[in-house]
Amino acid sequence: MTARLDELLGRAVSMRALALLRICAGPVVLLHLRPFLADTLDGHIYSDAFYEPYASWYPELPSELYVGLLWLGAVAAVCMALGLFTRIATATTFAIVAYNLLLSTTHFHNNRAYLVIVLGLLALAPCGRELSLDALLRRRRGLPPLDPSAPAWTLWLLRFECAVVYGASGFSKLVDPDWFGGTVTWQRVVRAQDQLDGWPDWLVTVLTDRGFHTGAAKFIVLTELFIALGLWWRGTRYAAVWVAVVFHISIEGSAAVQVFSLLAISVLVVWAVPSTRDRVLRFDPSRPRERRLATAVRALDWLARFRVEPGGRLEVVDRDGTSIRGTPAALFALSRLPLTAWFALPVLLLPEVRRARRAGSEARAVVAAGPT
Amino acid sequence: MGRRVVVVAVVVVQLALVARGYWADHKEFAFQMFPESSTWRADVVRVTADGRRVPVEADWAGYRWEELVQDRGLRYPAFRHHADAGLDNQLAFLDSALDWVASNTPRDRETRYLEAVVTAWHNDDPARTEVLRSGVREELR
Repeated sequence: MTARLDELLGRAVSMRALALLRICAGPVVLLHLRPFLADTLDGHIYSDAFYEPYASWYPELPSELYVGLLWLGAVAAVCMALGLFTRIATATTFAIVAYNLLLSTTHFHNNRAYLVIVLGLLALAPCGRELSLDALLRRRRGLPPLDPSAPAWTLWLLRFECAVVYGASGFSKLVDPDWFGGTVTWQRVVRAQDQLDGWPDWLVTVLTDRGFHTGAAKFIVLTELFIALGLWWRGTRYAAVWVAVVFHISIEGSAAVQVFSLLAISVLVVWAVPSTRDRVLRFDPSRPRERRLATAVRALDWLARFRVEPGGRLEVVDRDGTSIRGTPAALFALSRLPLTAWFALPVLLLPEVRRARRAGSEARAVVAAGPT
Repeated sequence: MGRRVVVVAVVVVQLALVARGYWADHKEFAFQMFPESSTWRADVVRVTADGRRVPVEADWAGYRWEELVQDRGLRYPAFRHHADAGLDNQLAFLDSALDWVASNTPRDRETRYLEAVVTAWHNDDPARTEVLRSGVREELR
């Protein structure tokens, strides 16, 4: 058991997803720091008004130094996103964001805690060896690229933290009779009813109906728990990611959650299988549509899922050897790209696409079995 | 070995923090989101050395409550607010804010302590009232 755990944590896997997350985390940090920086421009810092240190021994910097630190954090976040001096920039960003969060209990919000966790784990992972200026500069100097794979333990921890966020939130609601019974959501909507001005009457009637919330609250709780658990199994992972995106968009539209939605959607990339270029997209260069698709896949394949090769007719060969041809192949390819996955994944449920995948899988099985 | 220790430590600490969220006022890293629909309001007054009770809505010694206490929904306590992170969390912040104001208003020579008479509604429970007080100010002890 211990040996298996060690093997799992130490296995070299692609850090591509973490590199992509690092790029996304940079702007998220800037958004997070924006109100603090805006205050400094107005000549204010946290200690000018009510704040509450976590511990009396926690070091508080002189005002000028604190302001400088915040701006250094912003610069470090930009460098982190660009992948310039990545390791130092990411560690600096993490240190400053964490320091600022822990200055006062009043600074604490769940989205900020999640950001600190993500930055801490990114700082521990060698996630600047690709998708970075560091890698580009290294190439310009004629140096060989660094190995973009690394032990998997940081990836596993990120996955664990990602699942904890949904699991802890869902479980706390599950065990709270007021939440699970619908009282909490019903009261929130009823008290905010003035914000529903202009909405259709029937919709307002539904949303303010107590009975509606008896069911809706359970749906919300089970959605969070489904995301938390569904991410761990391959069979449910795509559905969980898809639901998570909808979940965050709906939260963003209904509540002020600071950087939570952007961060949480970005973190979902860590659930991609940590190997690269293990699928093949073949296309016919003489066909403009296939050429366009190949160009799009090359441009949007930020997780490096595909080797794109000119060949016969349009075909995707999955990592298990399953071959899909024609339009289903195009849809399958789009379902594996971060930007288009959310739109393309439901299309994979269409009967003709399912048939094509099944046929490809059966053909692979026949080939694997050999001549009878 | 080293990796295993780090991973197990992170997992254990994270789960402990999640569990701690069920009893702590401040639920750091417990990820309990939108926990309650509870609301609250408070009449916050300065109790002076001669026993007067002066609402903090009136400026005093050049201080204004809404400038001293800007965060966590505490700026205008007289208005009924949603307790964003739960009632216990909200009232813990209010309690700390009273102490902070009492300790950080050196020009004020008359206030002995601050007091908040809080009316709180936990979800759809009936209202309950409680009184929070700052410590007695050193200058007037």
